[in-house]
Amino acid sequence: MAVTTAPPLPPRQHTPEGSAPRPRKKHQLAPLWLLSPAGIVLLVVMVAPIVFLVFTSFTNYDQRSLFTGAYESVGLQQYVTLFTDSDFWWSLLRTVLFTVAMVAGSVVIGMGVSHLLTRIHTSMRYVVTVVLIFAWAMPNVASSLVWNWLFQPGYGVVNWMLTQLRVFGDMTDTQWSNDPLLSYTSIWMLIVWQAVPFIALTLYAAETQVSPEYKEAARLDGAGEWRVYRDVTLQFLKPTLLLVTILSIIWDYNVFNQIWLVSQGGPDDATSTLGVFMYKTAFVGFEIGQGAAISVVTTLLLLGLTAFYIRNLIRSGEDL
Amino acid sequence: MTTTVPTGVGASATDGPSETAAAADSAVPASAVPAAGSSDGTAGGASPVRRSRRRKKPRWFSNSLAVIFSAVWIFPVYWMVNTAFKPRSESMTSTPLFLPQHPTLDNFVVAITQSGFLVNLRNSAVVVVATVLLAIILGFFAAAALSRFRFRGRRTIMIVILAVQMLPTTALLIPLFLIFNSIGLLGTYAGLVLAYIATVLPFSIWVMRGFFVAIPMEIEEAAQLDGANTWQVLTRILFPLVAPGVIATSIFAFIAAWNDYIIAYTFMKDQSMYTLPVWLASFVSQNTGTDSGGQMAASVLFSLPVVVFFVIIQRNLVSGMSAGAVKG
Repeated sequence: MAVTTAPPLPPRQHTPEGSAPRPRKKHQLAPLWLLSPAGIVLLVVMVAPIVFLVFTSFTNYDQRSLFTGAYESVGLQQYVTLFTDSDFWWSLLRTVLFTVAMVAGSVVIGMGVSHLLTRIHTSMRYVVTVVLIFAWAMPNVASSLVWNWLFQPGYGVVNWMLTQLRVFGDMTDTQWSNDPLLSYTSIWMLIVWQAVPFIALTLYAAETQVSPEYKEAARLDGAGEWRVYRDVTLQFLKPTLLLVTILSIIWDYNVFNQIWLVSQGGPDDATSTLGVFMYKTAFVGFEIGQGAAISVVTTLLLLGLTAFYIRNLIRSGEDL
Repeated sequence: MTTTVPTGVGASATDGPSETAAAADSAVPASAVPAAGSSDGTAGGASPVRRSRRRKKPRWFSNSLAVIFSAVWIFPVYWMVNTAFKPRSESMTSTPLFLPQHPTLDNFVVAITQSGFLVNLRNSAVVVVATVLLAIILGFFAAAALSRFRFRGRRTIMIVILAVQMLPTTALLIPLFLIFNSIGLLGTYAGLVLAYIATVLPFSIWVMRGFFVAIPMEIEEAAQLDGANTWQVLTRILFPLVAPGVIATSIFAFIAAWNDYIIAYTFMKDQSMYTLPVWLASFVSQNTGTDSGGQMAASVLFSLPVVVFFVIIQRNLVSGMSAGAVKG
């Protein structure tokens, strides 16, 4: 890794004119010894494992290998198996559709809440912010358990409320985890519920910086509130919006805990995304070589998006 | 604290002349999450008379909308707390009770006296403390190197640190499992701490670096002129100055390690080695699957430290998030 190999250059110095030149040698080495502990640790716990993951994906590592340590290279066989496995393509499709649905939901609601925050009374804004932070702070293991309880057949409060609406009929005993669409809906709500706070607060921070003169000018030109938002505010929000959207895509693509704890990928793999598919293959079926191949493909698909995110981050003015 | 960590999501505050803001593609200045109740931020500038006349109706409408939103969004948290304080007979009713009729702490007693709670709490404490300490020590020096020195490869390292944050945790699961299995670290504290270091160290470096950048170079130059060496500058001068950053980073690392479920669930197969999230998720099966009161009480206990920490560091939340500190 670059940490240990990069030859350090002298530090940037604002040497006052006329002062004696600094002892250069010591400064050249300083960043090296400062970086190496973290660099070595990351090399061991992160870089080496990633390399090993790729290596494993070219072997037939399975449950037996865990005890005997014996496995063989099988070349591209794991990838051939994977790409001819319809379960993989279904998982990929589910992951993409689910990610799109979650990102769209959380970004649209987040934009709405952010705009709402600029238009309400200070005390009300305080209340909304606290509510957002609570939803955000809930560990996802806890929120998944709460979700199971909210949607529990028989005593779930959401089932009761929906029954009271008298639109969907009697939903008291509805088993959300038994129906693919309902399963998705409840997980979607859980993810969106926890994703909106970050998006809303980030966009709100950006929205407060929009220069009021522009909005006022647009109003004087006869623009309505919606036109002002679309033609002025939104134009300023664009860069921030892009960044939170990319981040949301990356996170939602990687969602695992909530699906695992709410539906375990069921019913009949209906909510099995790439992460769940990988986990079941590697740690339930113990086809570890195959699981590694899924992991590699999943990560590669994400890589393009990550690169796009970092490029945008740099362009938006983040000084690296 | 006057300075904030670069947010990543629209950094570089430009409160200069308004022409800069005209370019729609310029960075949107947004330096931090607004503090709760910060009163700045409403669009000012318009003459108050005209605005109040025009806004009267929307304000009323927006405030009602905000009330509805808050009620919906807080509902799961409220329902968790509500259930936690209900006696068993009140949580299983055909018409839900929106407040406990006879509030009780029984559920908390059940949760705490549950087999394994104390042992698993200790496991969590050991692993989380070790992770935070290691991440802070390693991260502090790395962040110092990346912010106080210019050297070739620095930019590349920064990009790599950002990029690895975006890796799915599940990608590390298989190789770490195999490696730890073959060297006997599976199911041990050390193995779990190493796995957590892999997930928290990159963002720890990133967040602390943001605090370092805010400190003027002149301060350490003055110290160097007075004869302090690099080590002294770091420990005596810079460390106290970035202390708020160290605290914020510790909290981020704490939350990440405390909340992790999937790594501990995969690595710690022996019940006596479970951490609290694994204990919490397995609570159902231990109690015949129907004790929602005990489950919610356990969830409250588990969430409480995280919520408290979130409130403490809310100003830094966005910066931590953009570096992947607290994954959504």
